[in-house]
Amino acid sequence: MNKRIIAIARKEFLHIIHDIRSLVIIFVMPVIMLVLFGYALNLEIKNIDLAVFDYSKTPLSRKLINQFDANKYFTVSYQNGSPKSIDSLFLSKRARAAIIIDQNFAKKFEHSQQTPIQLVIDASDPNAASFIKIYCNGVINDFNETHNANLHLPFEVKQRIWYNPDMRSAYFFVPGLIALILIMISALLTSITITREKEMGTMEQILVSPVRPNEIIIGKVLPYILLAFLDGLMILLLGVLIFDVPFQGSYLLLIFLSLIFLVTALSFGLMISTLVSTQQVAMMLALSATLLPTVMLSGFIFPLNSMPVFLQYLSYLVPAKYYITIIRGVMLKGNTLWQLIMPALFLLILSAVMLRNALHRFNLNLEK
Amino acid sequence: MQQILYLIRKEFKQIFRTREMVAIIFGMPLIQLVILGFTITNEVKNVHLIIGDRDNSRISREIVRAFEHTDRFNIIKYETDIARITENIQDWKAQMAIIIPHNFGRDIERYKIPEIQLLIDGLDGNTAGVALGYAQNIIQQTAKAIQIPEPILAGLAGQTLVELEDRMWYNLNLDNAQYMIPGIVVVLLTIISMMLSAMSLVKEKEIGTLEQLMVSPLKRHQLLFGKIIPFLILTFIELTIVMTFARIIFSININGSLILLGFLSFLYLFTTLGLGVFISAITGTQQEAMFISWFFLVFMLLMSGFFIPIENMPALLQHITYLNPMRYILIIIRDIIQKGTVLSFLLKEVVPMTIYGVLIFILAVINFHKRAA
Repeated sequence: MNKRIIAIARKEFLHIIHDIRSLVIIFVMPVIMLVLFGYALNLEIKNIDLAVFDYSKTPLSRKLINQFDANKYFTVSYQNGSPKSIDSLFLSKRARAAIIIDQNFAKKFEHSQQTPIQLVIDASDPNAASFIKIYCNGVINDFNETHNANLHLPFEVKQRIWYNPDMRSAYFFVPGLIALILIMISALLTSITITREKEMGTMEQILVSPVRPNEIIIGKVLPYILLAFLDGLMILLLGVLIFDVPFQGSYLLLIFLSLIFLVTALSFGLMISTLVSTQQVAMMLALSATLLPTVMLSGFIFPLNSMPVFLQYLSYLVPAKYYITIIRGVMLKGNTLWQLIMPALFLLILSAVMLRNALHRFNLNLEK
Repeated sequence: MQQILYLIRKEFKQIFRTREMVAIIFGMPLIQLVILGFTITNEVKNVHLIIGDRDNSRISREIVRAFEHTDRFNIIKYETDIARITENIQDWKAQMAIIIPHNFGRDIERYKIPEIQLLIDGLDGNTAGVALGYAQNIIQQTAKAIQIPEPILAGLAGQTLVELEDRMWYNLNLDNAQYMIPGIVVVLLTIISMMLSAMSLVKEKEIGTLEQLMVSPLKRHQLLFGKIIPFLILTFIELTIVMTFARIIFSININGSLILLGFLSFLYLFTTLGLGVFISAITGTQQEAMFISWFFLVFMLLMSGFFIPIENMPALLQHITYLNPMRYILIIIRDIIQKGTVLSFLLKEVVPMTIYGVLIFILAVINFHKRAA
């Protein structure tokens, strides 16, 4: 390998080591995110405070309320006042839902086919509200089934869940997190390290040295590739060891495709750094252009299929979208190269376009 | 006072001199608002579905038709061969498959209980769970609606059922944007105020101009206020722009008091600006400052209840969220905008948030003085 590249890489490496706090953050942050996503990300709502207004006060209504109380999702509190107090219960967050049982509930239940009871839900969090509704319907269905013999469907529906039968969120997040960390370190850090030299004026010093522009870029980028690789490997190990995330496919294939992704991410960082002149701008731009789309438009957390069509098209420009498919495919589905050829090709095209752009602009800047 | 004004003017000149910066300060939040507003949803739509109807009877066709008429599912293929179905799920073409067995319709009429199979790729556990729920619901609704032969229905005649009548308060249509946009406003508020203030002070250090400011006749507190006030003003302009666009694009209306919203945001900004100053005091380079503020930001974001509901976290993590100032402002802003909550119901959040703000700000000022000396 070229001596000048090694010299630049060594200099960059010393910069990284020198800033020990950032280095710690680079390694500690993914661990915190991993733990939070692995343990905490669970959109199912639990511990719902349910206010009950029972004006019927019959054994039947109490039986219904007891069924709510016995359900693991609900904590029931009895209310004596008028239903008007629901508003202040919701505003002070002492309840998230309320049930109102009519005075003649028991009588109606005996004589008519359908007996309504009212359910009021604080829907300010719509996701929680729809869960609460589903749970309440579940309780009511159970109640109805115990009081009516023939309520079953004339057929059964059997579910089979593949690849992640317990639907554990860690299976989903560990591969995604690796993609996020890789792009963060390789795109964000490289974009800043080059703009820093520009801002401080040291870029010119390097440029007048006998090092060629291409060598500068390769030398600056190498340490970050190494760093990103180590970080990614650490998350992979933690994910497999702590959260038992399986690894179905081939390690070699994953490493090969990860290298392609790293090239894409680095080209992206280089492109940003040639576009802007100060670190502050580079940081804000990199943050908005890498972090946000990687989290939002890659399928990392939110499914792409559910989004408006124009955002789905936009997502074709997000490199992490392809890599997330690749890494999930290899780790969890045991995909082969042939099955992942499309995302791999897209990554290659993206890197070619961005790299060409970046080098072109870099040379333009040099001529100025 | 005059001196602070000079410094503020200098700061504004510096910000507006870099065109890229102006574009980012005002353009990025809007783009983020739009993208986040549309993407952050727990709703599941267009799940790619394969239909395997091996029966092709009246009842099975009825069920298939129900799946064709919903935007929850996007039918990509009709395929009865299980090997092909498996292949399609394996290579990401489909996420779910429904298989109706041979003689499904006939078995129902003969009181045998046939079995419909739902196959799903469970990698994304959340989506899988929700999609299964939708599918079950569609199948059940259809089963109730189709005419199943008389004797089977006979059992249903004497039934007596409790029915739920539900009413959704504050958000009638369960519109997700109403909930997420106020959260996004908080995030943008935090990013702009904390990051910009952290970077701006360190920049002077890194370039060496901080020493020039130090030897000028400015007092330390004047320097501090001169640095903070511009970002306070910027953040408020930002807040106004973002809220206006939220109103235009997502029709978010502020149900509560605008003054209360402004005042409590102002209180919160003490925390973020204080954190910014604190970070810039303990760091030497912009890169370092960026990293540390970014670390705070990710931590605050994840532990605030912005997209992970706090009630769902393990108890230990729930306790940790009380240390997070963003937790409080998030509840406050969501409640004021959506429910029109008044101050007396928000004291549980306002009091700790104010205490944090004051503490962090004092800590930042002390640190700033020490480092500057």
